[in-house]
Amino acid sequence: MKKGLISVILITIMVLSLLVGCSSQQTNAKKDENNEKEVKKDSIVMAIGSEPDGGFDPVIGWGRYGSPLIQSTLVETNADMKIVGDLAKDYTVSEDGLTLTFNLRDDAYFTDGEQVTANDVVFTYESSKTSNSIVDFTVLDKISAKDDFTVEMKLKKPESTFIYSIAKTGIVPEHAYSKTYGDNPIGSGPFKFVQWDKGQQLVLEANEDYYGTVPEMKKVTVLFMTEDTALVAAKAGQLDVAMTVPSLATDEIKGMTIYKAATIDNRGLTLPVVPAEGKKTEGGYPIGNNVTSDIAIRKALSYGINREKLVDEVLNGYGTPAYTESDGMPWFNEESKIKYDVEKAKKILEEAGWVDKDNDGIREKGDQKAEFNLIYSSGDSVRQGLALAATAQAKELGISIIVEGMSWDEIDKRMYEDAVLMGWGDQNPMETYLLYHSSNKGQPNYYNPENFDNPIVDKYLEEALKTSDQEKANELWKKVQWDGKTGTSALGEAPWVWLVNVDHLYYIREGLDVGEQKIHPHGHAWPLVANLRDWKWTE
Amino acid sequence: MNITHYIIKNFMKMILLIVLVSVVTFTLAVNSPIDPIRQYIGTGTVTDEQRDSIEEYWGVNDTKVERFVKWSTNLLHGDFGDSIIFRKGVLSVIWEKAGSSLFLMLSTFTLTGILGYVIGLFMGRFRDSIGDRILKSICITFSATPTFWVGMLMLIIFSVKLGIFPIGFSMPVGVSADEVRIFDKIYHTILPALTLTLVFIPNIALHTRSKVIEVLESDYVLFARARGESQKSIMKNHVIKNTVLPAITIQFGSFSEIFGGSVLAENVFSYPGLGTTIVAAGLGGDIPLLLGITIIISIFVFVGNFIADLLHIFINPMIREEEI
Repeated sequence: MKKGLISVILITIMVLSLLVGCSSQQTNAKKDENNEKEVKKDSIVMAIGSEPDGGFDPVIGWGRYGSPLIQSTLVETNADMKIVGDLAKDYTVSEDGLTLTFNLRDDAYFTDGEQVTANDVVFTYESSKTSNSIVDFTVLDKISAKDDFTVEMKLKKPESTFIYSIAKTGIVPEHAYSKTYGDNPIGSGPFKFVQWDKGQQLVLEANEDYYGTVPEMKKVTVLFMTEDTALVAAKAGQLDVAMTVPSLATDEIKGMTIYKAATIDNRGLTLPVVPAEGKKTEGGYPIGNNVTSDIAIRKALSYGINREKLVDEVLNGYGTPAYTESDGMPWFNEESKIKYDVEKAKKILEEAGWVDKDNDGIREKGDQKAEFNLIYSSGDSVRQGLALAATAQAKELGISIIVEGMSWDEIDKRMYEDAVLMGWGDQNPMETYLLYHSSNKGQPNYYNPENFDNPIVDKYLEEALKTSDQEKANELWKKVQWDGKTGTSALGEAPWVWLVNVDHLYYIREGLDVGEQKIHPHGHAWPLVANLRDWKWTE
Repeated sequence: MNITHYIIKNFMKMILLIVLVSVVTFTLAVNSPIDPIRQYIGTGTVTDEQRDSIEEYWGVNDTKVERFVKWSTNLLHGDFGDSIIFRKGVLSVIWEKAGSSLFLMLSTFTLTGILGYVIGLFMGRFRDSIGDRILKSICITFSATPTFWVGMLMLIIFSVKLGIFPIGFSMPVGVSADEVRIFDKIYHTILPALTLTLVFIPNIALHTRSKVIEVLESDYVLFARARGESQKSIMKNHVIKNTVLPAITIQFGSFSEIFGGSVLAENVFSYPGLGTTIVAAGLGGDIPLLLGITIIISIFVFVGNFIADLLHIFINPMIREEEI
């Protein structure tokens, strides 16, 4: 027993001495930090959201929501979302759209000194194709190196959108690739990987041997913490950039300002376009809605919902009205931007025979009441707010919407017969194809639960994919939205009522210039740093 | 029965426990509404063809029984499978995360044990004094307070207002791995460990308090007093002797609660351990990882209880004679 007591006392002393040791330690650490803050103006500490769990390996998806930073890509998108060269000086697409040829630059080196050659590109694409990850290269048939600096890709079928996937795919070195590459990546991009402490931080350094302009930020530290903790850290003065959300962005933080990034991170309502006739999907779920299948209802909602008001009320002003899935992209048709017009909405309803006969404030057409269900994923406060606000506005038009929150699991079963509050926003027009092509109608993949099927739209979508010319493709994507007679926007068949694009918000330290930002996609984290190499401190 | 028998018997118990735990966890996980493939794809856009190939790769289209059989056969060969979200071996993920967690849990365990016992001893000895009453209310308050809330309070007081502790993580920000000293690690562990300690101290302190009171009121202490033994000697010879053992048993028995608490604390303090990982695995429908962590934790908790039993046997000769 005596021995026991002695050891207990010893442990106590040990723990106490450690505690004392640290408290002197911490004051020193604090001092160091303050000194550093004053001198260094070429480094940055940020908390911008989630950690890529799979590591920094482009083969399994790293870099697809922003830029791979550590690796370079064959081509990239500029601030206007136009395709420009990166590792490839230029590229050509064959007449039939099936062959893409890339001419690589000969002055690109991986940070271990090895030159980037066509073989590395071939290796990257072949590995990605078989990785069974979110990197979707199913359309790629064959890729080969014609010589050290020429790469040729053969596609299974023409797909003009494939170039956007290419723009997101970082090139990995064949000689230094293994299963664990994502933990310790080597690339030829503007930044050099220094260290990754899992669950905590990523440290990058400017790549001094980069073939492009060497970034001004010599050291970049990205912290992985929750939004709440990031806010606390920002308040404690430990961050230069902190991602936040509209509900938290009301706090003032000394020395920091709110930065709003425009997005196509959109929200809208899917409205079933076919009536309920007892049909079921392959999975056995009922299809169709007798109210939303009337184009007058869909159009009236499109015109009669005040999107600006939704932005102000639900998003605290941090957002923009949405008219399509791709507002502001090069393939966005400006004509789709309709004006908010309640009178027009009411007129559309009346002309279609929707009138309020029993004076209960809700219109009827024959026996059919203008009433339908709107479902959203519960737990998402933005979606809930939008659903309720849109419902209130619809009521003024004489349309009754019954709002219900549920899990995606339940939404899966009901999305073919009820309206759903959904959101998309990829920087790739492939999304337009997936959303409106008739091959996706009634499929369990969320793209087209409205059962939208328009042969003319299908034709434009298919042609846009097939063409070898990006400009021509963009013209065709625009026609998908509105060609003067039909389309997917409110002017046409309006299978969706698009509501808002949700701004991405960040607290940013005064004096930090984050350059010209691309319109951010759905997914609020890494898009901000896509142009990290252009960032600078202005004072 | 000798000691080898005892250990073998307990080892068999542990195997049985693991089998049961994995069957239950697996059943719960496959029946949860979370679709791991959808979670994995997230907000990305993939064609149906690619989705099919991902499903094929992870075998989520096999029947539940098939999946369980496949998983458990692999497990018998020591293969825990691959984590979906981390895309690498479950064991290597656990290995990466376990270090920090263990450090946090062991610090908490030691602190709670020692401080809790000492406080309990004090409260029992000076029963109904002002000190006892204050400590008792504090204990009762903290035993009813959620861990994450205590954590948030600690962050606000010590990190934001006073600025003496870091906001989170297990090491300083922006410092390269080889420059991190053991002091940094300890410094970053203090706040989460303190949080957990505050939450778990009441358990052992209140228990010790009532044991101490029980002993002080016993006949043999009365007899000792009558014999003229001093208070100091009574504390030493009777009270401590008779209360240390129950305290140790309780402490080892609380392994599972300390783990549960550390899951919450790790999330509040962005502390990179098994706690944050098990949350990610659950939300992502990452069944191999979830099962892997659950099994490791079951073993951990089992070993904790087993150690408590062994200590009992070795410290208390009476039990040793009876039970073995």
